[in-house]
Amino acid sequence: MLSYNALLEMFRQNSVGIPLITRKVVLYHTATKVAYIPPVTSLFAKIPILNLIVALLFWKPFFAVLFAPGLVCMLIALLPIIWFERKVTARVQWRYGPLEISRDIGGLIQPMADGMRYFFQEVITHREAHRPYFLQFPLLTFLPVLLPILVIPVGAIYAINTPYSIPAAIALISLIPMIIVAIGWASNSKYAYVGSLREAFMYFSYEIILIVAAMSMVILYGSANAIEIVREQSVVPGVILNPVAALVFFIAIIMATSRFPFEIPEADPEVVFGPFVEYTGIIFGLVMTIAYEKLYLLCLLFSILFLGGWNGPFIPPLGDLSPVLWLFLKTFALMMIFVFFRTFYGRYRLDQALKIGWSTLMGFAVVSLGISLGLGVINIAGWL
Amino acid sequence: MRDVNAENIEFLSSGAIAPVKKWGAKWSLWAVHLVTSCCGVELAHAYASGYDAERWGTLNFGMMRQTNLIIVEGTITKKMARALRITWEQMPDPKFVILIGACGIEGGLFWNSYHITRPWKIVPVDYFVPGCPPTPEGLISAIRALQKKIEKGEARTTVKFRETDLAELLGTEAGKERKPPKPPLKIAEKPEIKVEPKEVEWELGKQLVGKLKERIPYAEVFTTDVNRIYIKTDAKFYKKVAKALECEGFDHVKSINVIDVLHENKFIVECSVSSYSIKEFMPVIVTFAAEIDRCNPRIPSLIDVWLSADYQEREMHDFFGVWFEGNPNMGQKFLIAPEVETPLRKDFKLEEPSYVLEENK
Repeated sequence: MLSYNALLEMFRQNSVGIPLITRKVVLYHTATKVAYIPPVTSLFAKIPILNLIVALLFWKPFFAVLFAPGLVCMLIALLPIIWFERKVTARVQWRYGPLEISRDIGGLIQPMADGMRYFFQEVITHREAHRPYFLQFPLLTFLPVLLPILVIPVGAIYAINTPYSIPAAIALISLIPMIIVAIGWASNSKYAYVGSLREAFMYFSYEIILIVAAMSMVILYGSANAIEIVREQSVVPGVILNPVAALVFFIAIIMATSRFPFEIPEADPEVVFGPFVEYTGIIFGLVMTIAYEKLYLLCLLFSILFLGGWNGPFIPPLGDLSPVLWLFLKTFALMMIFVFFRTFYGRYRLDQALKIGWSTLMGFAVVSLGISLGLGVINIAGWL
Repeated sequence: MRDVNAENIEFLSSGAIAPVKKWGAKWSLWAVHLVTSCCGVELAHAYASGYDAERWGTLNFGMMRQTNLIIVEGTITKKMARALRITWEQMPDPKFVILIGACGIEGGLFWNSYHITRPWKIVPVDYFVPGCPPTPEGLISAIRALQKKIEKGEARTTVKFRETDLAELLGTEAGKERKPPKPPLKIAEKPEIKVEPKEVEWELGKQLVGKLKERIPYAEVFTTDVNRIYIKTDAKFYKKVAKALECEGFDHVKSINVIDVLHENKFIVECSVSSYSIKEFMPVIVTFAAEIDRCNPRIPSLIDVWLSADYQEREMHDFFGVWFEGNPNMGQKFLIAPEVETPLRKDFKLEEPSYVLEENK
């Protein structure tokens, strides 16, 4: 059992360094006088309980899960991406999209209005539903969504530094379809059943190629630790080293997050909303964002594996947040590309998607594995 | 005894966070649209690039569980009324209805149709948009009005019905009552089944009629057209006529019919036979008919004369309840549901659908 001071010291030893708020900012400096703004964290340094809370918030493992790249960053990415999806679809169709809610910023707060509406709407639990599971599974989705954050580091901010971070993250992300299938089963409705069956089929078609593509990059870099992988890419990003693996991983992400043209489990003209057909109100808000949360996580992985992760010019005032900024920008740009597919793609049938997953993409995945092995042999032999 | 639920609802609608709730509902009117007639095109126009109703945050959504607005587009028939009511009931609570088109208001083009309901009797309507069809501006102004209504938290309608003198408006004579047109009366009081002999130049027919008259002197035999012979008989001679025809060479039953003559309280059972084995008889159809009592419809089966009568007799038993004596399959239904009784009789009562709710009347 740690004492209060020991706990405080433990948090402070491993805290996030952001010079902007944890150090004094000197305004001017003369021979006799130094004027500075005191750091924000020092305000609470002496107050008994508050200093522990502040120290806990800046403790790296906690900061990683709660702020960056965890929950707060995810929300910051989600709200604009939903807005962007509607807006870019409107632009392609020669419309404005959501606008009048806030004309000055182009209707950016539209997803918040939708969220508020969902938040205050009635929650209907239909008679046929398996009531406890029907209401619990949407909340349980936070487990597979937030657990991968523990093993995905951003620069110096990480919860668990493990040599198996990439396989562990992929394994934990693979839990999400299980929850979706369970949601469809608990709904006990015709369309939810069909939707969860489709989700299960899609899971089989993308999961193997996703793992093979990630593993080929792991073989190429000679390490499964994300920090090592990003260090390896400091000169040449992974997408140039092994473009085939990048392509396979990219398409696997589209399939995994049910974006167009693989929006098969939730296809609204066919199975109304697939597994989520019976959900209303705030719970629908939770289940609707599962796909976007998964998109965020897989885009983080894509950035780390192929786009050089958090490599970028260091910005001194941000300190430890500088890698976060670069990784977030890359991830958000990727997410924008993924949601843009909605505007111009149709939808594949389930059998077509399965065929693509098991034949063409599987072939590409094996080729990417071969490229990685070849590059590895060249590297070991020292021919380069 | 405190009603906690009522207090919570009251708090949500007028408490400290009510403005946030109203703001959310105001800017997020997702519409499930019931395209029942041509007004759907105007809705498509309103949401397409010309007018772009999505600027105000509304979004067309195919599902009802996740939306909060129904846009009823036009005519609601009695069958569609059920769908409308179900859609409205499946929606989560803050829910609104906009009704566009003249058909929804007072029937419009179909004002005197037997199959039209008034949607405002089925669901509570917030706003009416008149017009046939209304313009996209009309629909958008209804959405804007609904947003204002949500913001203020009050119930009011933009369209107010007021009584006007049609004669003054249209310039027609006062006092002249306008009535819906009556359907043309083409119902005969006592329909008659008339089968009359017709003289035709048909050599084989004349021989055949002669032969049959010898064999069955108790029945009336005549030709009605080329290749058609009609025999009027009785229930007790019915089978004898059949046997005589079989001896003549007619080897199968084409069809067995029952005609329901309700006002004379009788059935006419008609049996048409022909032949495959004799080449000259192949185009010939001989029909023999017998009248039976409608209260106790029994007639001997022809199953032991022609086996092909079996299926037809069972069918007629299903539809009219005629009992063919001697057919082993009588009393079991094979074409229709077992609970349905004699659906082709003229006095059979159809089940009338009624989806219009009593509570809104």
